Amino acid sequence: MSFILRRFLFYLVAILVAITMNFIMPRMMPGDPVDALFASAMGRMPLESLQAYKEMLGFVDGPLWVQYLQYLKSIVTWDLGPTIMLYPLPVTELMAAKVPWTLGLAGMSTVIAVSIGLIIGTYAAYHRGGLTDRFMPAFWAFVGAMPQPVTALFIFFTLALSLKWFPLSYGADPDLDPALSWEYISSVLHHAVLPLMCMILGGIGAWIFNMRNAMINVLGEDYITMAKAKGLSSRRIMTHYAARNAVLPVVTAVSMQIGFVLAGAVFIETVYNYPGLGLLLFTALGARDYPTMQACFLLIVVFVLVANFIADLLYLWLDPRLRK
Amino acid sequence: MKFIHPLISFLRRFYRGNPTAIIGTIIVVTVLSMSMGASLIADNEPTKRVARGHQPPSAELWLGSTRSGKDVFSQVLHGGQVSLLVAFSAASITTIIAVVVGVSAGYFGGRVDEILMSISNIVLVFPQLPLLIILAAFIGQVGPLVIALIIGLSSWAWGARVIRSQTMTIRNKEFILAAEVMGESKWRIIFVEILPNLMSIVVGSAMGTCIYALMAEAGLEFLGLGDPTIITWGTMLFWAQSNAAFLVGAWWDMVVPGAAIAIFGGGLALLNMSIDQISNPKLKTGSYIKVWRRTKAEVEARRLQP
Repeated sequence: MSFILRRFLFYLVAILVAITMNFIMPRMMPGDPVDALFASAMGRMPLESLQAYKEMLGFVDGPLWVQYLQYLKSIVTWDLGPTIMLYPLPVTELMAAKVPWTLGLAGMSTVIAVSIGLIIGTYAAYHRGGLTDRFMPAFWAFVGAMPQPVTALFIFFTLALSLKWFPLSYGADPDLDPALSWEYISSVLHHAVLPLMCMILGGIGAWIFNMRNAMINVLGEDYITMAKAKGLSSRRIMTHYAARNAVLPVVTAVSMQIGFVLAGAVFIETVYNYPGLGLLLFTALGARDYPTMQACFLLIVVFVLVANFIADLLYLWLDPRLRK
Repeated sequence: MKFIHPLISFLRRFYRGNPTAIIGTIIVVTVLSMSMGASLIADNEPTKRVARGHQPPSAELWLGSTRSGKDVFSQVLHGGQVSLLVAFSAASITTIIAVVVGVSAGYFGGRVDEILMSISNIVLVFPQLPLLIILAAFIGQVGPLVIALIIGLSSWAWGARVIRSQTMTIRNKEFILAAEVMGESKWRIIFVEILPNLMSIVVGSAMGTCIYALMAEAGLEFLGLGDPTIITWGTMLFWAQSNAAFLVGAWWDMVVPGAAIAIFGGGLALLNMSIDQISNPKLKTGSYIKVWRRTKAEVEARRLQP
């Protein structure tokens, strides 16, 4: 239990750091940030909302710690004020509509990339020096080093624009109403194929690399020799003896990967005009909508931390030694 | 001149039977030398208007022209200079911080280790790219120097952790104990005894950061957060995207800078794999395994017929 509690406290501190950064950043901008905000809204924002913003961002009269507490309060009560680009729509409402799209992409792509990566990594390490071992890690390292906007653009150009196999934009056919019908769901899936593919291509390399390294370390252990001596089938040794133990350090690498995947969503959703959090962040950048940007950033941080926490729980489940 | 001979034998060992290292080196060296010699190779100035907008590749313009009629070939070579400079300087900043933090946490241990590692764990758990995006958005359109700085200052945590754990294993070896007993100063132990043994890990993490910085820079500039007046691979992508190059059929405008980043990043990744194999020879593959199998078979054959 103490393990979970410790991790939980750690993530709480991390969230506090993120909130503090959000608090400091507008204060480091030259000039009065709220006035800059107001000027960048170019008259689309009535004066009375200015006061609301000041309160939300904690720009109330008083010393810095009063401002900080005010900002914390607006975060805790989930009152992030109205957006600038779509005034007076609240930021939280705007984000709520986008979150499912991004989470769907990130979740599915992680599951697929992890499965493929672990299988290839396991196989390559078990059959050292074989064809898979020689070419797969190198090939996927090469692919994984491509920046996400570049992969997204290349796939967009070939599969969507030239071959016309997949739609060019949106998360689903805009003529269809959201419903639980086969038509709508298949349209959603059809639209998700290319963004998913980009995210998966960017992620597989890291999983193969981590899994292969971990497997190679495990394969030198005595219990592997023992299992071979017992005459177990090679597949059983590979999956139940080696991979089962090698997967432990790989799970901890998930933290690096989830943040990377969610960041990739910004580029991939921008290229495919996919209605998720990443595209929202991109449009907010263009509109200089600082409240929306900060809220998106905070939400992405929270998602990453939650994913890390889930990885910790998974680790606990996989490694009984920690359950004390 | 004494170092030449060990260097050659080291390189021979590094490249023998290691096609990934050879391919990686060829790619990296080619791209580097082409962008360094940009003004010699490309006839046109990157900022000069030399043709009508969006001309396809031809004999005069090898890689076509941009929307505003500039030579894509010349732009990609000159843009490479800035992009690579950003990647290398970000990697240097990161590596210096990572080495300082990692070695001091690993060697001094105790309270120092605790504090440094809790800071780097928090930095590590943060999603870096969104943080970079937000920072760049608040600073306003950032030049290459600032991009290098914010990438460098935000991405050292992973390297620091790897270097720390390696330092801790080295620190417990006998030769460190011997140096301590002989009364060597802490600084001498760190710089003369520990650091040389960390070299391959440091170089590996520097290259990893280099790839990451290249990607992050391209990403930031692609989103329009960079200074669009400076030609880099990222801003070329940005201009191509905002001029809808793909939709009007001018694929070369987009594919050329994209391919440049992808190929260079891939080359670095291949090289990095081989450097990882120096720090951890267990990771080797290919002909090494063949040699090992052959030797093993020979030994076993000898054992069977006494």
